[in-house]
Amino acid sequence: MSTGLIVLIVVVLVLILMYNSLVAKKNQVENIFASVDTVLKKRYDLIPNLVATVSKYMDHEKSLLTEVTKLRAEANKPNISDEHKIALDAKISSALGSIMIAVENYPDLKANKNVMHLQGTLNELEEQLSAARRAYNQAVTDYNNAIEMIPTNFMASAMAYKRKQVFEIVERERKNVNVKELFN
Amino acid sequence: MKNTSELTDFYYKTLYPTLQELEEDRKHLRHRIVVIGAIYTLIVGLIAFALSSFIAQSPDILIFIGVGYIGLGAIIYKFLIKDYTKEFKQNIIKPLIEAIDDKLSYNCNHHVTEHLFRRSDLFSPPDRMSGNDYVRGNIDGTKIEFSDIHAEKRQKNSKGRDSWSTIFQGLFIVAEFNKNFHGKTLVLPDTAQSTFGNLIGNWLQSNNFSRDELVKMDDNNFEKEFVVYSSDQIEARYILSHALMKKLLLFKNKSEHPVYISFIGNHIHMAVYYDKDLFEPSVFRSLLEYKIAMEYVKTLHLAISIVDELKLNQKLWSKK
Repeated sequence: MSTGLIVLIVVVLVLILMYNSLVAKKNQVENIFASVDTVLKKRYDLIPNLVATVSKYMDHEKSLLTEVTKLRAEANKPNISDEHKIALDAKISSALGSIMIAVENYPDLKANKNVMHLQGTLNELEEQLSAARRAYNQAVTDYNNAIEMIPTNFMASAMAYKRKQVFEIVERERKNVNVKELFN
Repeated sequence: MKNTSELTDFYYKTLYPTLQELEEDRKHLRHRIVVIGAIYTLIVGLIAFALSSFIAQSPDILIFIGVGYIGLGAIIYKFLIKDYTKEFKQNIIKPLIEAIDDKLSYNCNHHVTEHLFRRSDLFSPPDRMSGNDYVRGNIDGTKIEFSDIHAEKRQKNSKGRDSWSTIFQGLFIVAEFNKNFHGKTLVLPDTAQSTFGNLIGNWLQSNNFSRDELVKMDDNNFEKEFVVYSSDQIEARYILSHALMKKLLLFKNKSEHPVYISFIGNHIHMAVYYDKDLFEPSVFRSLLEYKIAMEYVKTLHLAISIVDELKLNQKLWSKK
């Protein structure tokens, strides 16, 4: 066999490997985003119940509640892009956080069984969401590294792969959640 | 729960009369071991001398005598210290455990079952397993059990004889975990990355076919010490929150030994590789020596404190 042929085979093999690793990385990102989406949906489903329960007590936070409802409606629209979902998630997280802080000001509400249950479920979902976001960010980082680093960047530009956006991890999440305080 | 300095106080104050008695026993025992050891060596020496003409013909006999000498010596030694060991465990280790938490029960002969050891999936399945100093109980509603474990694998040497190699020796802890999960997540000491550097180490780790998927964690200090494999990328991060990673790192630094952790079947399994039998009484050094005392206290405290330190008692909503 001539050397030229061997070199050609090696080059083709390397190209195939590069192509496959890029596709695998892209699919991993999509795969994990699907899981993030599932948890996000579960959280959206809690919102109507939460709003219905707390609106009877909360007078000063009406605007907060309408905002959350609006955001949920927007998130539930079909065909919204992943970037948009990421942006909405950040807004909903902060709005829900504000509502939960506001609950602290209403002793009746704090003692309400339904609210306590919602709070617990929400807390559990936040933990799951945090894990899903971190997994997504890692997959995106691997993907972004691959499309920017030599030699896979050439292949990636030929395949028209673009950088993806990561979730910003809220500083609050890095801290240890004090579960005792939440339940007392 | 008492901290280590309170326990050291307990060791030197409350247990002091018992320690003094044991210390007397220990001195007698040491004397006896030295005398019996000397006589035993002399006898074996004489036998070897009597067989010197055979040895000259085939020197292989010398190896045979040597192995026999060590083997029989070990049996005699174990027999001699048996009573002393029992006294020590009943009067020192047991009260120490009860002082840490009175809801814990202790048995000096049992060990964590082989089933749990195999379930942890941290090491290859053993052919022989032994252990002692079994502790179990319920701390703040969290079930915990641990013991000394020695797991071995059978190997055939070149002559076709069986030889045993150690898979794991040290402290093995199993406790309920405070979150529900379905998959399998393993946290192992990071040998590849520290030996071969980041790039090659990472490549080796991601191509470890005997394990599940490699999970890269977003905590640099944790990632330097440990490597994580899991059947589920998201669940691994659900279990290993930022807070838990920090706590596991602290635990590892406190233990000063390699730590292997697995999360399977809603339980956390931790193996601390000491490479020696733990909680055994010292024969040739004083029980009153600070270093010796601290070793008992620290090891016990390390195992029992995980419920508190890893906050396993703070259950998430879905676990209540």
